Order: sequence, then structure tokens, then C-alpha cells
Amino acid sequence: MRRSLRTAAVATAAAAALLMTGCSAGTSHDSGDTNQKVNLTYWAWAPNLDKVVDIWNKSHPNIHVTVNKQDGGDPAVTKLLTAIKAGSGAPDLMQVEYQKLPTLVAADALADLSKTDAVKTKSHFSDGVWSSVTLGGDALYAIPQDTGPMMFFYRADVFDKLGLSVPSTWDEYAADARAIHEADPSVYLGTFSSNDAGWFTGLSQQAGASWWGIDGDAWSVDIDKAPTQKVAKYWGGLVQEGVINNKPMYTPEWNTALNTGKEVGWLSAVWAPGVLSGNAGDTAGKWKVAPMPQWDASNPATGNWGGSSTGVTSQSKHVDAAVKFATWLNTDPEAVKALVTTAGIYPADNAAAKQALSKAPDFFSNQPDFYDVAAKVAKTVNPFTYGPNVNVAYSAYNDDFAKAAQSKQQSAFLDAVTQMQKTTTADLKKSGFTVK
Amino acid sequence: MSATTTEVTPGTGRGAASAQKMKRERPKDSAMHEKPSIVSSGILILGAIYCLFPVLWVIMASTKDGSELFSTLTLAPSTHLWSNIVELTQYRDGLFWRWMLNTALYAGVGAIVSTWVSALSGYVLAKFDFPGKGTVFKILLMGVLVPGVILAIPQYFLFAQVGLTNTYWSVLLPQIISPYGIYLARIYAAAAVPNDVIEAARTEGAREMYIFNRIAMPMMAPGLVTIFLFQFVAVWNNFMLPYIMLGNDHLFPITVGLNGLLNQGASAPAMYTLVITGALLSIIPLVILFLVLQRYWRVDLAAGAVKA
Amino acid sequence: MIETQGAGMRRRVSFRTRVLTPYAMLAPGIVLFVAFMAAPIVYTVILSLQKRTVTGLGLGANSHKTVFAGFSNYVASFTDPELLGSVLRVLLYGVILIPTMLGLALLFALLLDSRRTRAGGFSRTAIFLPYAVPAVISSLLWGFLYLPDVSPFYDLADALGINAPELLSPSLVTFAIANIALWGGVGFNMIVMYTSLKAVPSEIYEAAKLDGCSEVQIAWRIKIPIIAPALVMTALFSMIATLQVFAEPTTLRPLSNSLSTSWSPLMLVYRDAFTRNDIYSAAATSVVIALGTFIISFLFLRVVQKRAFGQED
Repeated sequence: MRRSLRTAAVATAAAAALLMTGCSAGTSHDSGDTNQKVNLTYWAWAPNLDKVVDIWNKSHPNIHVTVNKQDGGDPAVTKLLTAIKAGSGAPDLMQVEYQKLPTLVAADALADLSKTDAVKTKSHFSDGVWSSVTLGGDALYAIPQDTGPMMFFYRADVFDKLGLSVPSTWDEYAADARAIHEADPSVYLGTFSSNDAGWFTGLSQQAGASWWGIDGDAWSVDIDKAPTQKVAKYWGGLVQEGVINNKPMYTPEWNTALNTGKEVGWLSAVWAPGVLSGNAGDTAGKWKVAPMPQWDASNPATGNWGGSSTGVTSQSKHVDAAVKFATWLNTDPEAVKALVTTAGIYPADNAAAKQALSKAPDFFSNQPDFYDVAAKVAKTVNPFTYGPNVNVAYSAYNDDFAKAAQSKQQSAFLDAVTQMQKTTTADLKKSGFTVK
Repeated sequence: MSATTTEVTPGTGRGAASAQKMKRERPKDSAMHEKPSIVSSGILILGAIYCLFPVLWVIMASTKDGSELFSTLTLAPSTHLWSNIVELTQYRDGLFWRWMLNTALYAGVGAIVSTWVSALSGYVLAKFDFPGKGTVFKILLMGVLVPGVILAIPQYFLFAQVGLTNTYWSVLLPQIISPYGIYLARIYAAAAVPNDVIEAARTEGAREMYIFNRIAMPMMAPGLVTIFLFQFVAVWNNFMLPYIMLGNDHLFPITVGLNGLLNQGASAPAMYTLVITGALLSIIPLVILFLVLQRYWRVDLAAGAVKA
Repeated sequence: MIETQGAGMRRRVSFRTRVLTPYAMLAPGIVLFVAFMAAPIVYTVILSLQKRTVTGLGLGANSHKTVFAGFSNYVASFTDPELLGSVLRVLLYGVILIPTMLGLALLFALLLDSRRTRAGGFSRTAIFLPYAVPAVISSLLWGFLYLPDVSPFYDLADALGINAPELLSPSLVTFAIANIALWGGVGFNMIVMYTSLKAVPSEIYEAAKLDGCSEVQIAWRIKIPIIAPALVMTALFSMIATLQVFAEPTTLRPLSNSLSTSWSPLMLVYRDAFTRNDIYSAAATSVVIALGTFIISFLFLRVVQKRAFGQED
């Protein structure tokens, strides 16, 4: 991360163009004529994506793409929804996390690409990923970009020192957590973070949950069901026992814990090396990756945390040009390679990914088979349906699980699941959706 | 609050009245005059330490690299300040400095124009007598009650109607109108610009705008500096409006930019060292501005403001 | 009074000068006010009377309609336990913050004004300095100082063998937020009060001194009554700012389990408008908050006017 920041980039021209398009967003011409010069704006937050786009701009003088860096998925969606409501101000292209697609589609923020060349990219992606950009219907709302299969990251040196084996089941994970905390009460194998709903969603997905469902013309909300209850009960138990920390992730304190070896494991996703090297660069070479601990070892599964796609907004006047670019970005071997090396993401395009991911990330140079593990894990991602009010469920997660984590009571974790279900269902009903 | 505002010359009348009462008090301790007091100086210095401590922490923290920030004793300095500044400068081709310039533009130009508009409005409200004057003033003052967070969304919608979102204008224009500024300017104009001066200028045939720009404004100058600083800080601090209005990070002010470095989403690490170094660098110009203009900081919020 | 003088001065002037000129000169202010404050407020009110309805799964174009909702959003706001909870939290926060901040500001202002104080210039600048730090940044800084594993306070407490409480725990987090606002606001209020003190002619103090009043007596019996109007105004502005607290808790929220997404009324508005994408409810809550602010400000002024300024009329 830091290294790539230092690499100087030539983007003066892009910056200048950015200024101009920034003031004229929304005013443009028809998209049919391929000889006409087209300017596209692209809201994205993946680091260094602008450098990948530079490659496109050099070879495609007629379709110029300008990246507007956003502050991550949530703020970008917030701004896009505001622009859609206002009727102008939206970009042409947008990096969209899979879980935000239904929300954006419900707000009519994304163009349906099923009548464009975008459908030809289907063969590049696995069925599971493809279904998340079609929402299981006939429409197509985005082209997949990357995925975030969850994996278990751990400090191999600490495990070795304590003579622990890598947990293959959640029971073993709990046993390791106890052993590590017992050996040094200031050290934890992990933390339960009330601030990261996507993380908990991934854990529930692994357990077989699917929080929303479509039944004819009605939505169902299935948060308060056995799989999610199982996950909440498990973590509530560990937090109550005190062998797992209850502080949120992505805080200065968490960074300190990673740096000083107070937090020796992280249930994260394939993009974790970028975060670890940015937050605890000095621990490079001490970490290793393994598949997630399993509920049923004979039937390995995992969930997704993160991962995103490239959508074309409903305000874009250049849908075909935008599709052309998005197709290139996510399926062209050169582009995918650049996505891996400069933007540090795990591409959704299977074949191109295999080619691009030959070498383990620098932070994991001690584990040459990093991407082999990832590829194996990626095949075991459970299906999951997101609904049109993921944001509501996620903010309910923040509030309800914050209380639960603070109380350190297992029962409170189960109450939190119930409360999430209530809030999410009530919101759907209030907005006028039919809910089963 | 608006209902109660009438002009009075600052302080004096009331002060004299209280002094009258004081005279009847018994003399008690007449020995202690002008002697430096350790207690009172000590309390002030404690207050200063409290206010400077976080600043000291920022200075220390900005000398550390990413790992040291989270592993070494918090108040121990290190040697990476320069490399942090270099790294911050290299971040996306010097975007940080662009943010600084943008902030200077928003806060500087915004505050200058805002001060002029406030001065003009305050001057008219203080020195002219016209039908509807009280109502205009009351309505303008109500703006104080409406939080910026609430205004930002409808402001965005209105800007979108004219296609001006995501431009410098969308951040500059809404912050020119300042109810506080008008309120203060009215007080300053009432206190600092004598009526006979205006009347004399009129007799000589000067136009009203000439009188305001050339005669009244200079007389109000010290107060106007206060309004300028007040508005400068308000724009500098405003997070919500640019956050909502701007999609293009080349237009961001420093607050929105640094916030973005901090909240990168789950799959990218928060750039704490860059944010802390950036925070330090962004405070410096304000500190200089404060020190230079310090003697003008006279926020007479209440001079004759409240009287039943 | 100026108004009567003005009327006298301009007895013979035309309608044009009397009415058109002032309004022409007010035009920039009025136009900007209408465009950027009045219009958005009206727009908010209109939004607050609407809601969105969905047909079917709500996916795809034309599955949404915006319809008139009457006062249902307001009914929902008034009966929302989350809004009530956030108002109560913010009231507690204000009870902690405002007296502390104004008390310290007054103390500092009086000490600065006292001739027996040294290091006044340095202290004044230092105490005022935090006002220059945007709330988003100051909250980040204090966030670092609050977290046990990165804070020098806890290093210090460890060294002294004290088991320091967690500042971001649910019981203390209100104080933690109030402290950030105090840090940023005490200097500004101090300057306001100090300016008022400076406006008082020094002969008054001289006279009091000759009569043998102590510094404390002068402060208590002369200075504070004189600057009472300034105190009232700082209190009023602090109250308005308190009801609108947003940046500090929003920045601190991700650092602990103690703050909810609806901790303060404006956080609730923000969550409804942006996270929950329900701009209509948010608009109704906004109007309720603005009206509440107005009523509280108005009542406050009525009460203090009677007590603080009653003796003069």
C-alpha cells in the first residue's frame, strides 16, 4: 500500500480533465457515435484505481474516463442516491459493493445492462458472482469486479510458540482462543466488532444464512433464523467467557493490538494483506493464511466480506461507452493484472485472476501458496441474497451489537439478532414493500 | 432572541449603575494592588496546558511512522516528520496541497465576500429607518437556529436543479450568508458609525454605496476583521456541506479530504500517519492567521444586544 | 435611540430614498438568504409532508412513487423513542457542557482582565487556539487520547499505578464528548467575555478599588453584572450548538461500543436521510429539531431577561 503510494503517477492531464468534467457533469451528448469523444466519470474508492484507468485512457483516446476517488462504499452510495434523487450530479460509472446493488436498483440508480454487450462477460464469472449482479432476475445491473472470500489470518509465530494447530473447526478456534488468552491475558485471537456489519454478514453467510429472500412479489427477511442465531450465540459465548475481545476493528487501538501482538488472528477476507501491511507493516512475514474454521469440516464453506462491481448509473448518457470501459476493466487480462498489482484487489474474473495472481502479496512472501489457498476457498462461498434495505440492517447491526458486545452477555447477542430482524422488517413495511 | 434586540451603547450605562452600588460597599482589603498573583496566573496556565496538550500530541505523533504510531510511547518523538510530509505530498500527486488551497479559497474568498455582505446588511439595518426593518432583521436572525447538517441536503437538491453540484460554487455560495455576521455587523455599525458623519456625506451629495464603502466600512474595520475571522473559521470547520456537495476529490477542502483518508472502507487501511501529519499542517495557517489578527478578535456578541 | 434620530434626520426625503435604497442595499443579503436558507427550509418542509411508496419488489424503474403523506412523518417523529432518547442524551450533555464551558470561560476572562495576572497573552492565545481546529479533526485527536492502548493518559496512569476508567465506556462517553466541545469552545467564549470586560471604562474599577474592594469582589459585584448580556448570548449560542451536536459523536462512534447511530438528534437525522435513505422522515425530524431549538431559545431569553435585566427597566 505505502509502496504503491510512493510510486509517482502521471495524472496531470487526468486532473485537468477532472476539473472540467466536474463542472459539466450531466450535460452531454448521445452515445451512439463511436468517433465522437466521450468523457466518462467514474466514482470508485479502490486504491490507485486511477492508475489502472490511465492504461485505458492511453489506448482509448475516444472514451476518456476520469476517476473521482470516493471515501469507501457507504459514502459513495450516499452521494449517488442523493444525486439520483436530485436528478443530476451522478457519475457515469460507479464502483458498487454487491450488497448495495439491491438498494441502488430499488432507487433506480443503475442502468439495466441486459440489452448491452455487458451480458457477453457472463462466461468470465462464476455463477454465484453473476447472480449477485443480476439479483437472480433477467436484468443485469453491473459487471463484477472483485470478490472477498473470507479466510483466517493468524500469527504463525505465536501459534508455533504455543504449540497450537491451525483451527479447522469453530470448536478448535474457540479452544485456540482460550489457550492464547490463558497464556497471556492481554492477548486475544480475535475481536467481535460491532462496527463491521459486512464482517458479521460474511460469518453468517458461511453458516448458511441468507438474510433476505424473494418470494414472488414479496420480500422476506430471514435474519433471525438458525444460522445467524448460531453465529451470534457462538461469538456471544466467547465474548462472555472473555477469551475474545469485544472492541471494534479499524480503530487506533486495534492497530496497536495488531502491531504489538495483542491481537494474533483476524477473520478477514482475501484483501487482508493490504490492510495488515498498512496497519502493522512491521509484522510482515509473521502472518499466515488458512481457510476459515468450519461448522461442518466435511462440507467446507465461507462467506464474502467486501467485493464490488462496476455499475453504470441511470443518469449516464453514454451507456455503451461505459459498458465498453467496464468490460475492459474487469475482464481484459492487462486490466485485471493491473487491478491486482496496483489496486490490490482479488478479481472476480476467474481465468484472468489465475493468470494475474501468480505471486503471493509481499506481506505474505513467507506463504507462496497464498493465492492457491484463496482460489480454493473462493469456490466454497455460500449463496446469499441481499435485500433493498441492507443499510438499515447494517446500521441496526451497529447499534444492537454494540450494546451486546458492551454487555458481554451471550443472551444479548441473540437479542441483537432479533432486534435486527425487527428493525429491518419494519423498515421494509414502512417503505411499502410487501414482506412475507 | 431577535425580538429583544435594540441598540444601546456598549456597557457604560449599566456599568455606571453598578459602580454606584459598589461605592456603598465596605472597604475590606486595600493592601493588594497590582501584585502578580501566582494563583490566577497558575489557573490560566493550567487552562493553556489543557488546550495545548492535544496539539503537543499531534506534533509528537506526526513525527512517527506507521508502526511507531501504534507501538511506541505516545509522547515520545521520533524522526519521521519530514518523510511523513513527503509521503503526504506524494499522495496522489500532491492532492493534500490542493485540498489546502481549496480550503483557503473556500474560507478566504467565502469569508471576504461574506464579511462585505454582512457589513452592508448590518449597516443598513443599523443606520436606515424603513418599513419592515424589524421583520427583515428577525427573519435573517432565525437562520442561526437552523443547523447546517439539515440545510445541506435541500441545498444539494436546489443546486442540482441548476446543475451546480460538484463545483466550487456549490460550497462557496451557501456560506456567504451569515446570520451571525449580520447580527455582529449591525452592532458594530450602530456603535462605530456616527449618524452625523453619514448625514454630512449625504449633504455633500455622496451616493449611499459610496458612503458605505468609503466612509462606514473603514470605521467598522476592526469589527469586520472579527466577522471575517468568525466566518473564516466557520467555513474552515464546515464538514457537511462540502461532504455532500462534492464528488470530485480535487475540489475537497481539507476536512473532507482528511476524513476520506481515515475512512477508506474495510479493505483499505486508514492512513493515520497521513491524517495526523495533515491535521498538523492544516492547523498551522490558521494559527498564523490568529496570531497576526489576534488583536482584532473582539467578539462583542452582546453589546447592547439584549435588553428587555 | 438611533431609530428616532434617523426618523428625524430623514423627514423630507422621498419614498425612493426612504424605502428603495435600503432594500436595494439589503438585496445581496436577502437574495442569498432566500436562495440558500429560506428556500432549503421551505423545501425541507415540503419533503417532510411526503413519503415514498413501493410497488412489488421495488426493483427497477417506475416501482416507486412519491406521495403526499400529511403529518404522518411528524407523528412518527414525535412518537419515536429513538428521537426522545437522543434528545434526553443531548440535554444531559448540555447540562454537563454548558455550565462547565461558560464557567471556565468566565474564569479565564476575569483572570485575563485582572491586572495581577501574568502570562496573559500566551494563555489567551493558547486557550483560543483549539477554536481553529475543525471538530472532525479535534474529535480524531481526542479519540486517540481516549483509547487506553494509544493514550498518554493511560501510560501516565499506569506509571502512577492508577487503574484509570475507560473514557469511552457508556457511562463516561457523554463526558468524553463534552470535553471535546469544551476544548474547542472555551476559548471562543472566553474571548467574547473578555471583549465585553474590556469595553468597561477602567475608572469604575479604580473607584471600586479606592473604596477598598478586593479583586474577587470587583469581579463578582461589578464585572459579572456588567457583562451579563454577553453571558446570556454565549449561553444561548452554546445551547443552540449543543442541540446541534453532530461531528464529535459521529467521529468517535466507530471507536467504541458506547455510541449508537442515533446518539444525538442530528445523528438520527443523518442516519435516516443517508443510511436509511428515508429523506422524508429525516426532513420531518429536522423541522421538529429546528422548532424545538427555537422554542428553547425563546423561553431561555424570556426567563433570563426578567432575571438578569429586570432591574434596569
